[in-house]
Amino acid sequence: MVATTLVSSAGGMLAMLNESHLALKLHALYNLNNHVDNFWPEISPSVPLIESLYEDEEFDPHQRQLAALLLSKVFYYLGELNDSLSYALGAGPLFDVSEDSDYVHTLLAKAIDEYASFKSKSGESNDESIKVDPRLEAIVERLLDKCIADGKYQQAMGTAIECRRLDKLEEAITKSDNVQGTLSYCIHVSHSFVNLREYRQEVLRLLVKVFQKLPSPDYLSICQCLMFLDEPEGVASILETLLRSENKDDALLALQIAFDLVENEHQAFLLNVIDRLALPKSQLSEPVEPTPSDADSTQNAGVNGPDDVPMTEGESASAVNVPEDPSEKLYAERLNKIKGILSGETSIQLTLQFLYSHNKSDLLILKTIKQSVEMRNSVCHSATIYSNAIMHAGTTVDTFLRENLDWLSRATNWAKFSATAGLGVIHRGHLQQGRSLMAPYLPQGGTGGGGSPYSEGGALYALGLIHANHGEGIKQFLRDSLRSTTVEVIQHGACLGLGLASLGTADEDIYEEIKNVLYTDSAVAGEAAGISMGLLMVGTGSDKANEMLTYAHETQHEKIIRGLALGIALTVYGREEEADTLIEQMTRDQDPILRYGGMYALALAYRGTANNKAIRQLLHFAVSDVSDDVRRTAVLALGFVLYSDPEQTPRIVSLLSESYNPHVRYGAALAVGISCAGTGLSEAISLLEPLTSDVVDFVRQGALIAMAMVMVQISEASDSRVGTFRRQLEKIILDKHEDTMSKMGAILASGILDAGGRNVTIRLLSKTKHDKITAVVGLAVFSQFWYWYPLIYFISLAFSPTALIGLNYDLKSPKFEFLSHAKPSLFEYPKPTTVPTTASTVKLPTAVLSTSAKAKARASKKAEEQKANAEVASGPDSTSAAGKGKSSGEKDGEAMQVDSPAEKKSEPEPSFEFLTNPARVVPAQEKFIKFLQDSRYVPVKLAPLGFVLLKDLRPTEPEVLAITDTPASTTSTAGGSGPGLQSSSSAMAVDEEPQPPQPFEYTS
Amino acid sequence: MDPKLTEVSQLFDRFKAALLRNDFDSASNLLSQLKVLLTGFRSLPPLFADTPNAVQELTIARDIYEHAVVLSVKIEDQDAFERDFFQLKPYYTDARNRLPQSPQEYPILGLNLLRLLVQNRIAEFHTELELLSSAALENPCIKHAVELEQSFMEGAYNRVLSARQTVPHETYVYFMDLLAKTIRDEIAGCSEKAYDYLSINDAKQMLLFSSDQELLEYIKEEHSEWEVKNGAVYFQKAKESAPCKEIPSLQLINQTLSYARELERIV
Repeated sequence: MVATTLVSSAGGMLAMLNESHLALKLHALYNLNNHVDNFWPEISPSVPLIESLYEDEEFDPHQRQLAALLLSKVFYYLGELNDSLSYALGAGPLFDVSEDSDYVHTLLAKAIDEYASFKSKSGESNDESIKVDPRLEAIVERLLDKCIADGKYQQAMGTAIECRRLDKLEEAITKSDNVQGTLSYCIHVSHSFVNLREYRQEVLRLLVKVFQKLPSPDYLSICQCLMFLDEPEGVASILETLLRSENKDDALLALQIAFDLVENEHQAFLLNVIDRLALPKSQLSEPVEPTPSDADSTQNAGVNGPDDVPMTEGESASAVNVPEDPSEKLYAERLNKIKGILSGETSIQLTLQFLYSHNKSDLLILKTIKQSVEMRNSVCHSATIYSNAIMHAGTTVDTFLRENLDWLSRATNWAKFSATAGLGVIHRGHLQQGRSLMAPYLPQGGTGGGGSPYSEGGALYALGLIHANHGEGIKQFLRDSLRSTTVEVIQHGACLGLGLASLGTADEDIYEEIKNVLYTDSAVAGEAAGISMGLLMVGTGSDKANEMLTYAHETQHEKIIRGLALGIALTVYGREEEADTLIEQMTRDQDPILRYGGMYALALAYRGTANNKAIRQLLHFAVSDVSDDVRRTAVLALGFVLYSDPEQTPRIVSLLSESYNPHVRYGAALAVGISCAGTGLSEAISLLEPLTSDVVDFVRQGALIAMAMVMVQISEASDSRVGTFRRQLEKIILDKHEDTMSKMGAILASGILDAGGRNVTIRLLSKTKHDKITAVVGLAVFSQFWYWYPLIYFISLAFSPTALIGLNYDLKSPKFEFLSHAKPSLFEYPKPTTVPTTASTVKLPTAVLSTSAKAKARASKKAEEQKANAEVASGPDSTSAAGKGKSSGEKDGEAMQVDSPAEKKSEPEPSFEFLTNPARVVPAQEKFIKFLQDSRYVPVKLAPLGFVLLKDLRPTEPEVLAITDTPASTTSTAGGSGPGLQSSSSAMAVDEEPQPPQPFEYTS
Repeated sequence: MDPKLTEVSQLFDRFKAALLRNDFDSASNLLSQLKVLLTGFRSLPPLFADTPNAVQELTIARDIYEHAVVLSVKIEDQDAFERDFFQLKPYYTDARNRLPQSPQEYPILGLNLLRLLVQNRIAEFHTELELLSSAALENPCIKHAVELEQSFMEGAYNRVLSARQTVPHETYVYFMDLLAKTIRDEIAGCSEKAYDYLSINDAKQMLLFSSDQELLEYIKEEHSEWEVKNGAVYFQKAKESAPCKEIPSLQLINQTLSYARELERIV
């Protein structure tokens, strides 16, 4: 048989087109259409001829469509997609959207692009006059229908969103077989890919609508959506329904929703929700006072806390058994709980408990730093203080400071300010005792309590840090302090504190008061006032920004201008397009400081959006501005714009990191540090590594800090470079000839690396991929430390605990185990530094021991005294007994923890481990977390991190609660405000006692 | 035999008869009917389906198109010639291994070459030539065309004109007549460039006209821009100095400078 003959030329078919007979033309068209893939180069010169066929009115429609299809294909091959598309539209039904060919795929993509751009154009200008070609619309609709029919819902939804076809989106979602899944996918898409704020809100509104139609609505998601939409009424009503429900599970769900909402740190919104929650109909005997403003009620709560522990079961049992006025009473009780959560108190308290009890900070590192730093070098001295504060952020462990009071007292002036403020970082979230802790340092109502203005100012700043974003209770005090002083250092501290405490509340009165400070035109106070106004107005996009801008033009002080510039940038947080006018105004300003503010404005307005326009603008400024400050900030700002997509940042700034300009290199380092914080991203580390040994000192500083931010909580087992970096830090700190700047960087870096007792990470996104406003603002202000070291403390706002805290209905954490399906060494705490350092620095440990022994002796002596005091002051012995009990309990725990790794050394490492609630779960570990099948508790929502409410499957059995240490500290401090400070220190001292044996366990 | 094939062959017979009778109108009619019928055969190009009657169908289709080409020459329709030739070509090229060679193949290919020469499409002429085998080049029909082209290129126009006497096929005559005109156009084009003016006599001789009358008519029809005065033909008008294009120097300088500036700024 003859092999199949192949056609070698389309000439014959083309010639046939010229025939006069219609049937011949049709035949030719038909054949050409089949062979166009191979012969398009031959056909292309005949395009005009085919076009004339297409336009020939005498031709029957089918033939014309065929001609159009042929033309479309030829144009496609020629790369003329626009022509191709327009002819494909002319081809009508002959253009088969389901055909699986490059041609069809390309054209469909083109059609969708075209349609989407039409739609978004008409959407933006709200102009109905822009008519979309109905044929185009038909094609896109056909495609969407096909996707839906084929079950490709995700494609359909993506396309529908892109094309602004909300009707189709709804159809796709409702028709899909897994509505919940598609909805959550849709939420994800709308956050990551919809660039326009308004349109995103439209989409979310639709989603909420769809959600509510479902037979079993997913309230968690609805509430998230409503939060993005800023509709507290909706959330409040959902919560209320759930709370009023008879079913305990619904109530659990409500509590879980509340925790999830709190995680996003949207203070103003949460307050709104609280206000809208209806009060129970019949007023209960005990007053419902959710706000922590009332010191008594919080104190009561603190006292009640431990007492509740044994009583809770009884209480809940009585609630079930006694049906008298049950619904209202139940509701009131639940309402109380939820208000506690929404106000942030519950989560803060639980976090505090967790951070305190799991604190694994390594004091030896600090001691090494302290030893090696020259006394007279005040920069490194205060850097050590900062480092200590960061290392112990939120743990309430201030042992290091107490042991080194002499050394600490060398801090003078502003160093004193920041030393005092550091206490605020350490006690962050210690809402109840915050004020009493700081009491010795606070300004004493005009009588001149002896404290220097620096420590007083620092104390006010510390209060702000303690109450950051949850400042209902402390606001008034800070305002009073601000009003009653004229010392600019105190004003400085008070302004910062007030700004932090009332973050984003847009309180007019506070604003006016801060403005008065600003108008005194004092440089120091004015700078803080500027930042504070920004903090107060975060994300409001209010016209206050213009007022601030005007003043920035009037004043002579650079510091004030800088403060205001940052403040203005903060006001436009997350406003995206709305902020464009202001950004334009700032970036065109004559004054480089305002342009610098403009960079921050760009960064914050487009935070985490990866918006191309913003990136382009920033890159432009990064290479073209005349001021180094502006260029540095522009690069740094890229980190903020890209944090939702950390993989991208190293790629984008890699070129800039090799710039000849050290400022740009510094900016690149920090940009990577900010956007890749806590990810341990390999590319980021590779980019930063060469920068840590840069020729310019401040670049090294930036790179070290950035590296620490990236590597926070990454264990050496998962990336060996972490260990190298730790050793590098140690080397820099010990090196006598190292520049001060990079030394400071190294000291801060070691603080950040072990931040929060090694139990926190830097996180700018919540679990639901929503930006954490406090964290972002915190990092933005932190990056200002270039000009003003005390602002370093703002980094503590970005710390979020990496813990899984399971809670039962009573918001207590019951004891239960879950599985981490990975090698324990991957995520374990770094080993204490003693082992590696003993060989190299023999002298150091002995020196450390002698001082610490003395300090310890002093501390224990003091502790005994205090204990006696405390017993005298507060009648019940139970407090200290409880404290002792707890600490001994912990001692056991400690011993066990030390034992187990020693045993493991001989055996091969297991591939999983059991963790006990509450447990440290680092972000990389999330995916390995599994709940046990036969566990007594089942989570309401599957989440490997954060607060998880647990459903009790065996409610009749007695619950075993996990032992936490907060009761010890709360009870011991409950005695009174004055001795509270010392007695807590006594608890610390007791804790300190069992630790020394640890190293011996290892060396033997 | 397949009824469709019978129908086609009957129709083809009638067409051939008409062609022999020189009844061109009815022949054209029959031809277009035939072509439509041919579209029904799936074995023909470009489909080349393997039907049982493929060989017969291909053969008859080739025959039809060969006759169509001849017809187009007879009715002196160059467009139709081109059309039919292109439709015929796949039978020669793609179906070569399925059919015995047609006796008409070389004459028709030569005819096509001649046509290209007449239409002064030298590039295509050579393309076609390249596609032919060396054996084909030996064929007198092809050789004739090739020699003509060579003479044409050399400017030996008299040899071209004398070649009319030695045509290998009777259908070539039509094209040879046309070729004379092509040559005249070439000469006219050259003269235009070469001379400012020519006397009528010289022009007549140059353009191979036998009388002044013919020359004047030719000038009127083809080159109305020429001027006839004082017993001479002036080509002057046709010579218009094309404006020199200026180099956009200023723009280039500006661009280069701005690049340099940008380069300096770059990181």
